[in-house]
Amino acid sequence: MIPPVSAPAVELGASSAPGAGAVMHSLFREDRFFLILSVFIGIFAGLAVVCLRFAIDWSRIYLLGSGAELNPMRLLLAPTLAGVVIAILVIHFFPLSRGSGVNQTKAALYIYNGFIPLRTAVGKFICSALAIGSGQSLGPEDPSLQIGACLASALGRRMRLKRDHMRLLAPVGAAAGLAAAFNAPISAVLFVIEEVIGRWTAGILGSVVLSAVSSVVVMRMFLGSEPLFRIPPVEMRRPSELIAYAILGIVGGLASVAFASGITTLRPLCRKLPRWTEYAQPAVAGLLIGIIALLGAPQVMGAGYEYIDDAMHGQFTWQFLAILALLKIVATMLSFVSGTPGGMFAPTLFIGAMLGAAVGGAEHALLPHLGWSPGTYALVGMGVLFAGFLRVPMTSVFMVLEVSGNYSIIVPVIVANTIAYLISRALAPVAIFDALSRQDGVELPSMEEQREESILRVEDAMRPPVKLVLEGADLVDRAEKLAGGEQADGVLLVRLEPTGWSTVTREELMAQVAEGKGGETLGSILEGAGSAGARQIPYLHPDQPLDMALRYVDRWPLVPVVNRADLGELEGVITQHDVLERYRDFGGE
Amino acid sequence: MIHEPKRLSLSFQWLSPYLNRKPVMLTLLTGLTIVLFLAVSGLSRLYHAQQASLAVRWAGRGVDDLNAGRYKAAIIEFRTALLYDRGNGAYQLSLAQALLGLTRTDEAYAYLINLWQREPENGVVNLELARIAAGRGERERALRFYNNAIYATWPGNQETERRRVRLELIDYLLRNKAGTQAESELIALEANVGENAAQQTLLGNLFLRVGDYGRALAAFRASLKLNSENPAAEAGAGSAAFEMGQYAEAEQYLEKAVAAAPADTASARLLRTAKDTVRMDPFRAQIPDRERDKIVMDAFATAGDRLKACQATPAPSAAPTKKPAAGSPGTTWQGLSEQWTALRPQITEKALRDHPDLVNTAMNLVFAIERQASGACGAATEADQALLLIAGQHEEN
Repeated sequence: MIPPVSAPAVELGASSAPGAGAVMHSLFREDRFFLILSVFIGIFAGLAVVCLRFAIDWSRIYLLGSGAELNPMRLLLAPTLAGVVIAILVIHFFPLSRGSGVNQTKAALYIYNGFIPLRTAVGKFICSALAIGSGQSLGPEDPSLQIGACLASALGRRMRLKRDHMRLLAPVGAAAGLAAAFNAPISAVLFVIEEVIGRWTAGILGSVVLSAVSSVVVMRMFLGSEPLFRIPPVEMRRPSELIAYAILGIVGGLASVAFASGITTLRPLCRKLPRWTEYAQPAVAGLLIGIIALLGAPQVMGAGYEYIDDAMHGQFTWQFLAILALLKIVATMLSFVSGTPGGMFAPTLFIGAMLGAAVGGAEHALLPHLGWSPGTYALVGMGVLFAGFLRVPMTSVFMVLEVSGNYSIIVPVIVANTIAYLISRALAPVAIFDALSRQDGVELPSMEEQREESILRVEDAMRPPVKLVLEGADLVDRAEKLAGGEQADGVLLVRLEPTGWSTVTREELMAQVAEGKGGETLGSILEGAGSAGARQIPYLHPDQPLDMALRYVDRWPLVPVVNRADLGELEGVITQHDVLERYRDFGGE
Repeated sequence: MIHEPKRLSLSFQWLSPYLNRKPVMLTLLTGLTIVLFLAVSGLSRLYHAQQASLAVRWAGRGVDDLNAGRYKAAIIEFRTALLYDRGNGAYQLSLAQALLGLTRTDEAYAYLINLWQREPENGVVNLELARIAAGRGERERALRFYNNAIYATWPGNQETERRRVRLELIDYLLRNKAGTQAESELIALEANVGENAAQQTLLGNLFLRVGDYGRALAAFRASLKLNSENPAAEAGAGSAAFEMGQYAEAEQYLEKAVAAAPADTASARLLRTAKDTVRMDPFRAQIPDRERDKIVMDAFATAGDRLKACQATPAPSAAPTKKPAAGSPGTTWQGLSEQWTALRPQITEKALRDHPDLVNTAMNLVFAIERQASGACGAATEADQALLLIAGQHEEN
């Protein structure tokens, strides 16, 4: 760490009230302009999501009918025929709109310098509206995320932003799209940070938050501020109920693994089929989902938010809830592996809610004295699947809190989500989004692996403190005598008052003595006039990443490692050789 | 003509450097935002109009089916209406009512409790929740929701609705044998009934059910004052007066009730008892001595018959007996019989006229026999019932 440098003096003559020109210049500095642009991205993404919602509802009304009870012919024909149209559109016009959209956004960030063709947004919009509206078991959140990223990318290109900012625009747009689709800005911001960007910096966070908030404001202007579900009273009466939620965590973790394994197994198989079958795959998936609906479970069609709402309010028996969870897993696997554009967020929430309410209902049937609120179990279940399937533990907790608006549920959510996440990680080491990108032949950085990566610290490479540490107050004569035992070219550490450090060699000390400066203090020589601070060297702390040491060890042969609480206390020293040795050993590990 | 596009593009090329400046870009973005907002607003109006129209259409069908008792269809229609107008409380309430129609109480409860959280002051919601809680036997919750409903907001005539709910609550309390709570609710209701003969009659009947005969009689009198041609009020007033021991007044009311409604057998029976009670009471005011002595002799004979009949029944000592009044002649059949036999020769017109104290002695024995016999042996005759009632009245006096 470089010792603090005094603050630059205020320029004389600088006006305290800057003129309009200065304000404009400051406003249009690229980093601030980026923030302004984030607001516009949020607005455009919000408008796009509103239109997507209209399009989905209109296609549902015109394809499946306006009633809650669907016509059997339409149940079979609508998803099948829509599947054919979607296949043609995806194969011939919008090949990049296939899939969920999360990995495409990550690819834009890490591979294509933030570039996503606007055409992809158009394709995603049309195809996912048609797919979800016709009853494919997919959701609008991931498409919204990708549409937001596409719009941001297009805007960034038009604005000719720098490459760094261009890269970040896609996640900013993604957060805006997701926030508007989910009506949950905090969860959207967290998801993008946790799954797409993978790091927290003030610059990114500011832009992502601005875009997410502005998109949600726009969405609420047109669609109202009601949450996705009516949240029933959420309660946990006794701490012993945590055991019941822990069981939900276990069941949810296993269900997540089954769901993810189903997708990662079936998807490559579908891709291996002859190319002509790509025209038929969405149609076949649609037909099978239509048959499931016809057999008595129309709830599996589409995003299914209204049925999540019903499950939360105890409208289904626990047995039927369990069947719905199972059928939704099957239906979503069919839709997704067939290459139909659409998201997995809504199905994940659906499965989680059904599973949660089913587990809660079964537990209540077995142990009637347990407190039973289907809404609470459904909410926790949604978080559990989010944590287990999408592998975003932090987002999963905040998503439930944001959706429910009730913090009293936090303990069961944390318990159940953590268990589900750990089970899912143990049984399926690769997260679903990473597995999908690898199947596509793209090696995108895995945020989960990054979070788990162990890093080397200074303490791992430093050596014990040297025995001889000279003081700044020592006379040069004395210092030269003390250093007598050291090698002629050895480097000696000098502790300067109050908190600085420096180095000196025996040769230099001998030269100073020869010049007749033996009666002067080391400090006065090392910090002499005209060279203020010039001989001060940086220092490190034991907990700092070893990367940081690399910045100093090539310029200074010996860098002191000091205590954070007492900068004069030496805990060790580090050299370039120590750092390189440690990295070599680490590679072997 | 062929070169026109090129010329056009060339003519706008001079704009390019300006368009790339950030302030210009921001201005253009703002303009674009306004245009997009307008476009989406147009779409939004279309969308919401369609959603509203679909909601109204399906809810209309739902209301028709609900009113016709076709609950299953109504449920589907209200669910559909809610797809298009999710937050509509009226649709949710109607859906809950349709679900209740099919006794799908748990589902209905889920909707109602959600509505209650949004509108805790909604009378209809509170009443439906009270009914569900009452059906589930959750008395505390039922009472809470009933009370909420009484003080809640109601569509239409608030007072009428609140009165209706209070009446339902009283009925619930009476069914659950909570007479004291029911009486206090009735007293609260009394102040709000006003000048309505039917309501006063209903109030009187409810007071009769809780055993508050004084208030019942007052309510029936108020009802008769408003509408003198009301056999139900006459019968009620007669019952109330009878229960209060005002047999002469009861006789008057019951006479009118039976005359107006000869099929009212309960009133007719009560009338006969009231008449007997009045006729057989030797202690009533302004009665000639001769008649009083005759009444005492008849009562003595009736009690003797009752005694004989009871002695003939098996194991009379095992039968539950009423505790005799303090100072009564005896507590066993044997003792009573001996007393009755000993007194019998003295119960003559002459003896009664010569020894007025004998009236009290004879009637005390009659009352003791009737009390002992009451509930212990066989059905009492109307004369026995009348003597028992006179005994009670005499004891009070």
